[in-house]
Amino acid sequence: MAKLTLNDVTKVYDDAEGTETAVDEASVTVEDGEFLVLVGPSGCGKSTTLRMIAGLETVTEGTVEIGDREVQYLAPSERDVAMVFQSYALYKRMTARQNMGYGLKHSTDMSAEERNRRVRESAELLGIEELLDDKPEAMSGGQKQRVALGRAIVRDPDVFLLDEPLSNLDAKLRSHMRTELQRIQSDLDVTAVYVTHDQTEAMTMADRIAIMNDGVVQQVAPPEVAYDHPNNKFVGAFLGSPSMNTFDAVARGDGDGDAYAIDVDGITLGKVPRGAVEDNIDGESVCFGIRPEDLHLDNLSDDVTDVCQFPATVTITEYQGNDNFVYLDVGDRSLTARVPPGVYPDSGDEVTVRIAAEDVFLFDPETTESIKTRGVGNEHIDTQPITRS
Amino acid sequence: MISLTRSGDRTIEEKEALLGYALIAPALLLIAAVILYPVLYNVYLSFTVVPLRPDEAPQWIGLEHYYSLFGSSAFWSALRTTIVFTFFSTTLATLGGLGTALLFNRSFRGRRYIRGMVLLPYVAPLISVAFVWRFMLDPLYGIVPFLGSDVLGLYAGEIDILSNGGTAIWAVILIDAWRYFPFAFLMLIARVQAIPGDMYEAAKIDGASKFAQFKDITLTELKYILATVFLLRWIWNFNKFADIWLLTRRVETLPIYAYQVAFANYQHGQAAAISMVLFLALIVFVLGYVAWALDW
Repeated sequence: MAKLTLNDVTKVYDDAEGTETAVDEASVTVEDGEFLVLVGPSGCGKSTTLRMIAGLETVTEGTVEIGDREVQYLAPSERDVAMVFQSYALYKRMTARQNMGYGLKHSTDMSAEERNRRVRESAELLGIEELLDDKPEAMSGGQKQRVALGRAIVRDPDVFLLDEPLSNLDAKLRSHMRTELQRIQSDLDVTAVYVTHDQTEAMTMADRIAIMNDGVVQQVAPPEVAYDHPNNKFVGAFLGSPSMNTFDAVARGDGDGDAYAIDVDGITLGKVPRGAVEDNIDGESVCFGIRPEDLHLDNLSDDVTDVCQFPATVTITEYQGNDNFVYLDVGDRSLTARVPPGVYPDSGDEVTVRIAAEDVFLFDPETTESIKTRGVGNEHIDTQPITRS
Repeated sequence: MISLTRSGDRTIEEKEALLGYALIAPALLLIAAVILYPVLYNVYLSFTVVPLRPDEAPQWIGLEHYYSLFGSSAFWSALRTTIVFTFFSTTLATLGGLGTALLFNRSFRGRRYIRGMVLLPYVAPLISVAFVWRFMLDPLYGIVPFLGSDVLGLYAGEIDILSNGGTAIWAVILIDAWRYFPFAFLMLIARVQAIPGDMYEAAKIDGASKFAQFKDITLTELKYILATVFLLRWIWNFNKFADIWLLTRRVETLPIYAYQVAFANYQHGQAAAISMVLFLALIVFVLGYVAWALDW
């Protein structure tokens, strides 16, 4: 068990087809025993980052440290990491027992007896004792997944690497394995890096998530911090489903002067107290963001500041079971709202939409960095806190 | 009331079965005419003395040919030569194909063109290949004796490699392996490329050496196709005639022995008995091999 540190890790692919920077100066610290989820759209460099930690890809620049060892020049087996692959990557002609014991056989000098004992213990932890003499072809997806996990666990590695391990499972099994994985990780208290494109997995499992885009780490924070206080527009829009509504807007000083009105095409969609924004943005272009669940079609509770309301036309309402998605037209723009199941307007209905100042997000249209995140306080919010050390 | 299955009429299942037999009948007849009949006729001939005059009937002599065959040293020598030739040429061709397939599994500049050239020995006409090799091995003006004797000094004097029984068999084995390794290569390359790369990555993380990766992943993944290639080449090499015959008269395998008995000595019954032994030996080998290697 150890802390994992990436310092300005960069990966440049330089081949006949040209130069491509897959990962650009990624710096992340994963504390001892922490569960870090690397999340981002496909092609964002998250898998490449993981593979550089594992040693399956070379590091172009920067350093990878596990504990106090610099490991970027070491072979994968010398790094004391274990990896779970998306495709499980089990050795097809070996039994589960041989699969799990293979790493111990080749990178330790343990006796066969000792290896067997370790394999048995890990199998018990995962509840797969009765699978030990089966070959992968006789197993279901979930069972293969467990054996692949077992193969990683049995080595008792410093760092546990997981590359989209649940994406080949069906939805029900996936949510089951999600809890199972969390339990195992916290039982073993092992440092883990988990790559996924699925934000549900990221939000539910992570101690902290690292959101990547275009090879650049955008933000490293606990899920609730990243969700409520995104560093920039990308993080705000990436997290949450349906995703955040964003529009180009203009901030206009209100008549009485203590709030900004955020106008989109001349319609005021939000009001923000001046104190919630650090700089004076009077008359400036901003990017306005509002999460679907923060568009209220019914009555809003009274304890919120500066409610803004405007009329909208319902395009369509989608029934989702636990809540409804309502698609709204405001002027030429479309908004998506997520409302309680009791609220079910018909197509063509005129409704009044209410937005609280707390829920308004503002981003700089040039740099896309956050100007205002959730809340109206003027205290500084640490968007990248470290939760354990 | 009308019964759906009136007596005298066939049920749908019976009609289907009849149709099935009708559809496979042409193929069965063809096989019977061109394979089954000659084989059975050959079995019959091997128990007879076949007269040269076509208007005389073969004369039944029972197992006489087999007795004389098993008592003849020429037969045992030919059988031994056949097994040595088949074993070594098959093994070398399979190993050569495996090595080449592994080399071609990594990408390098011009891989596609070189892959095409690898197939050349296999697709070139046998007659030209055989004569080029005879030319190259010729003791007077061949390049192989020149390199071996004059340049490298491996031996002194002029040895006619193809006319000397001791060297001819190895020359034929090597040439046959060279000619047929592209077949093994073709069969193996597809399978080699289909081995998922992440197993090797998992093995790297597990700390397995290159050799362990080859043994535990590559070889186990290729086991069945290797065994199949070996079996096919074994069958073909066991019956091989033309390649050997065109290169040398000094390597007498069973098919060549049978040919000489039939068309040099005109003992067709005896030759039929030899080919029966060849056939049975092959069948026994194939059954044993399949049971041992392929567990089908």
